[in-house]
Amino acid sequence: MTEAANPDIRSRQVSNMRVINNDAMLIEQYRKGDSAAMERLVLKYQNRIYNVILKICADPDDAAELTQETFVKVIENLNKFEGRSGFYTWTFRIAVNLTLNYCQRNSRLAFRSLDAEQQQDDSQVKHVLKDFLSDDSAPDPATEVQNKELYKITARTLMGLDEAHRAVIVLRDIEGMSYARIAEVLDIELGTVRSRLSRARSKMRDILEAILR
Amino acid sequence: MKENPDMDTNASNERIDELLNSYIDDELTVERQAEVERLIDQDTKIAQRLRQLQKCQILVASMPYAEAPASVLEGVRAVMVGGSVSSQKQPAYEEQAGRKYVLLRKVLAAAAMITLAAVLSVVIHRIVPPRNTPEGSVAVENRTAESIKPARMLATSGFSGRLELKTSALNAVDAFIKSAIDDNNDLSASINPERRQSRRIYSVSCTREGLNSLLDDLDNIWTELDSATLFVNTETFGTQTVVGAVTTKQIAEIAGQESSERRIELAKDFAVLNNLAENLPDKEIQVAIEAGDSSLTQQWRIFKPVLTSNQKAVKKPAEPAQEKQTVRLTIILDW
Repeated sequence: MTEAANPDIRSRQVSNMRVINNDAMLIEQYRKGDSAAMERLVLKYQNRIYNVILKICADPDDAAELTQETFVKVIENLNKFEGRSGFYTWTFRIAVNLTLNYCQRNSRLAFRSLDAEQQQDDSQVKHVLKDFLSDDSAPDPATEVQNKELYKITARTLMGLDEAHRAVIVLRDIEGMSYARIAEVLDIELGTVRSRLSRARSKMRDILEAILR
Repeated sequence: MKENPDMDTNASNERIDELLNSYIDDELTVERQAEVERLIDQDTKIAQRLRQLQKCQILVASMPYAEAPASVLEGVRAVMVGGSVSSQKQPAYEEQAGRKYVLLRKVLAAAAMITLAAVLSVVIHRIVPPRNTPEGSVAVENRTAESIKPARMLATSGFSGRLELKTSALNAVDAFIKSAIDDNNDLSASINPERRQSRRIYSVSCTREGLNSLLDDLDNIWTELDSATLFVNTETFGTQTVVGAVTTKQIAEIAGQESSERRIELAKDFAVLNNLAENLPDKEIQVAIEAGDSSLTQQWRIFKPVLTSNQKAVKKPAEPAQEKQTVRLTIILDW
């Protein structure tokens, strides 16, 4: 189904347009000297930005720092923002770029902590994970996994992916971005998003199976 | 040339995976979607693969949503209030004035800043004339306000300075410092660790006792450091005394002095001592200093605090307790 034909997607697009208009208004107000307008933008997006960064870098302190740095960069570069992409997309592009640069510099640390933690897998959690993955019935997309230990394993599995794959999977599955939006944020082709996401999920599956072995 | 059948199979699997993932994410046209549904109905392996991929997607999507800490907004506010972000009205002004005028204005502003910096350095040079000291670890630095951001000028007479530590074991040392700060009950004031890529910044504000206790802990990892340099703030804005190859005992001694003048004098003495010790092949002086050999200082005629401080013999009136105890130290850990 194309995006335009799907009523859910169309209503999402309409609400996105409202958001974009609202953002543009706040930016205009800030440019006229109203700093409260920027605070509203920060309040509006900080949780989503923080959540995405945290899922990519896996360290709450660093995620908070990177989130703050994102908004500082947004403020510093707002005069260069021409509105060709939405404020939301532009801000996420800054956030993801900062985070990926950070991850590349600290990749050794991430892998080390992953290796260390892998030894501590609880057999009970493995059992839960095995049940979840081997259950042959079709999963309900609305299902939410309610097991804290599974979250930890999932977070570690994400950290086992390289940064580029991790970013694409987080933007899609956590932030719920469309492929087109991900392409815009990461500045890559739509086809690359498709193949990268596919490889990321396959690799995730491999890592999960390795944890279970 | 014959093609590798395994490679064909892999490529085909990858294409199927891409289709299945696009199907899961609702990113296919109606025709493609129907095509995938036909495939799933006909091939149980593909149906199973779809379920696996869906489960991966569900696992990630189910991860708990984390909310940004309040410090994020506070930090952004501080940046906006602090004025380090350029004026909000600038773009509108730029539009009106035109690019050429703005460029000219920037060039003039840069020229004015350079002139101002030159005038300031001349003024500072007159106020704090450089002394004849060996090259290396002793110096009085003149810096612009921006470059000394971590070392603030204090109105109180307490110790204020910056400790720059370099190590190749950044993470290990970082972890140790953090735990030392966390575990140290004597540190009564706020400690704000900041983390920026390859460097870690800790702003420590505490009592002298707290600092001594922290330094005792840090002494255990001193051998892990490639270098340790202490910048002691003077009462002249933007001017610092630099002590290279500083030890924890020296930091404690400097911070323990009652007045700013004494701290500066002692810092200069230590800088000379450390510089001499570093330049000696067998580091005899360093060993002797640590052993507390007083004859050595006489032999080398090295400035010891007792000799250089002209206020030593005069008993100073007691300072208020709060002033005595104020210590502000910015620790910068880098590799």
